[in-house]
Amino acid sequence: MRSVAVAAAVTLVAAGCADGGSSGSGGGSGPIVVGSVNALSGAATFPESSAAAKAVFDAANASGGVGGRQIQYKALDDKGDPAAAAAAAREIVGADGAVALVGSSSLLECEINNKYYEQQKILSISGIGVDPACFNSPNISPANVGPYHDMTLTLLYGSETLKLDNICALLEIAGNTLPSYQAAIDEWTKITGKKLTYMDATVPYGGSDYTSYIVKARQAGCKAITVNPVEPDSIGQLKAAAAQGWNDVTWLLLTSVYSENYAKAVSNAGAGIYVPAEFYPFTDADAAQNKEWRELMTKNNIPLTSFSQGGYLAAKYFLQVVKGISGDINRESVTKALQEMQPISDPMVGTPYVFGKGKTHHDNTAGWPIKLMSGTNKWELAEQDWLRIPKN
Amino acid sequence: MLQGALAGLAAGGLYAVLAVCLTLMSRLVRVVNFAQSATGMFGCYVAVWLSVDVGLPTWAATVVGIVLGCGLSALLGWIISTWLAEADIGTRSAVTVAVLLLLISLSFILFGNKPQPFHPILDGPAFEVNGVVVSQVTVVTVVLSVVVALGCRALLSGTSFGLQLRALSERPTTAELMGIPAKPLAVGVWAATGLLSTLVISIVAPSQSNDATSLSMLVVPAAAAALLGGFRRLDLAVVGGLVLGMAQGALAQVDSLSVVRYFLPFLVVVGLLLWSQRKEVWDVAR
Repeated sequence: MRSVAVAAAVTLVAAGCADGGSSGSGGGSGPIVVGSVNALSGAATFPESSAAAKAVFDAANASGGVGGRQIQYKALDDKGDPAAAAAAAREIVGADGAVALVGSSSLLECEINNKYYEQQKILSISGIGVDPACFNSPNISPANVGPYHDMTLTLLYGSETLKLDNICALLEIAGNTLPSYQAAIDEWTKITGKKLTYMDATVPYGGSDYTSYIVKARQAGCKAITVNPVEPDSIGQLKAAAAQGWNDVTWLLLTSVYSENYAKAVSNAGAGIYVPAEFYPFTDADAAQNKEWRELMTKNNIPLTSFSQGGYLAAKYFLQVVKGISGDINRESVTKALQEMQPISDPMVGTPYVFGKGKTHHDNTAGWPIKLMSGTNKWELAEQDWLRIPKN
Repeated sequence: MLQGALAGLAAGGLYAVLAVCLTLMSRLVRVVNFAQSATGMFGCYVAVWLSVDVGLPTWAATVVGIVLGCGLSALLGWIISTWLAEADIGTRSAVTVAVLLLLISLSFILFGNKPQPFHPILDGPAFEVNGVVVSQVTVVTVVLSVVVALGCRALLSGTSFGLQLRALSERPTTAELMGIPAKPLAVGVWAATGLLSTLVISIVAPSQSNDATSLSMLVVPAAAAALLGGFRRLDLAVVGGLVLGMAQGALAQVDSLSVVRYFLPFLVVVGLLLWSQRKEVWDVAR
């Protein structure tokens, strides 16, 4: 028993010593601390983004780290809870002295922490940004397109490529997202001159039976419906339409439903489900664009999803920028390097990534159209190139 | 409004069946079973797993799932009638809350929190009224709720078996002293309601949102419906379920009111409680 206690004490002292050299903002020769705040438990969970970032950093560490220093990556859980999200950010930024946040994916982290990041002069490359604050803060620049540009893209694809008229929107609004979705729809109107036939922004998250909303949309004469759903809700809506015998409706959805599981669960997709994938479609197994990512994920048993693509890219962008820093790597030098970086192109995305000094970061404007047709149970490429929001 | 009400009937039928189960449980075994729909959800999830990962045909997997839901419910009944035989209704019901949370967590652990690829047993429209399609699921749930309520009523009032059940619920100790087998009967009631709720959830789950939480929480509107009959009357429980579903559907048609529809079960619960207590005098009601 005593030997165990002694061993424990020695370990603790050793850990304390090891940590001593790297307090503050990680100067010198200790590990470079990088963190992320994620939805790892709670109502909706996206563990893949930070897991993918960790896989990238582990691979980098195995090949010698950055300038001889190892990267120490800490992925904390926000439990879908504002208080926990705030505490997690303070632990990483304040206590651990992280140089940057990389690969975060959460439903509310940006909203809660963006002001704190500004105060602490630390930047965050989110793997997947969801809430509007992720795209409206000077200190956060997600690797993904985001649901708002994605909605503009899905509407553009529906009206311009599929030539659908009478497009309607059923929006599931959580928190303060309505103005951002409205802006995305207005953007589409500005580009095409077309308007929605009908919009219902009262559709609930996690509703059990969506029949009445579907009936209402059908009566309004909708031929296509754009929704911003989470997977279970979308399946509920499709089933409600199928039960009503409404089989000629086209669904213009977002990357939030792009998963193998969803495809397996959908047998009747009406006249088709179309999604502008925020990254090069991961279901295209032989694609050269995703080869490196796919191998790394498979090796580490991380699910192949859009979330793991986001986390992977965020970590890659970060590594590339940090490797170019001459001199000490600390929060200040990393922030400066990200603000002055050259754009990084990657075949997995349609828009080169740049953090830069902007007041907001919402510049990723390309999605790859994919479709899910009735009875196929699998996602297919709908086009052979990126769909972009036209520059006005 | 009428079209919305018809659209809400499928949910109404589901609430009605669950409300009948809740009423039976409260009348016969002195429990408000909060895990009523959770046992059904768990049975369904196992059925999906059997059909997708094990490769059983859909009908066989569904049958196994229903049997499992029935067994889970019977097990819970056995536990409660063994260790909490003399406890009051509040204590016995509290145990089922723990089971509700346990089953939700367990399904997250076993099956993840992504939607399940349910294969529909019934799919598509049955007939059309006024431009609103009434789906096959709606027809089946509504008919099922009425048939079950009538069947139970006939059983309870017209057979000696029903008489024994009623005796057990009114005076459990006396009934046991007279030689009525209390525990097997109680477990039987648990098993029957478990079977019913798993059956109805198996029918409905493929045609609506079917994540563990929303399926398990169906017990809330069902409880509101059962309250209309004061957890005693089966006919009013059916009416309550159907009306609640139709009211939710109708409210969803009006933009300004559609927010209300999700509070509706709670509003109904509060309203009915206030109404049922309207004649109580202060110290008597305490």
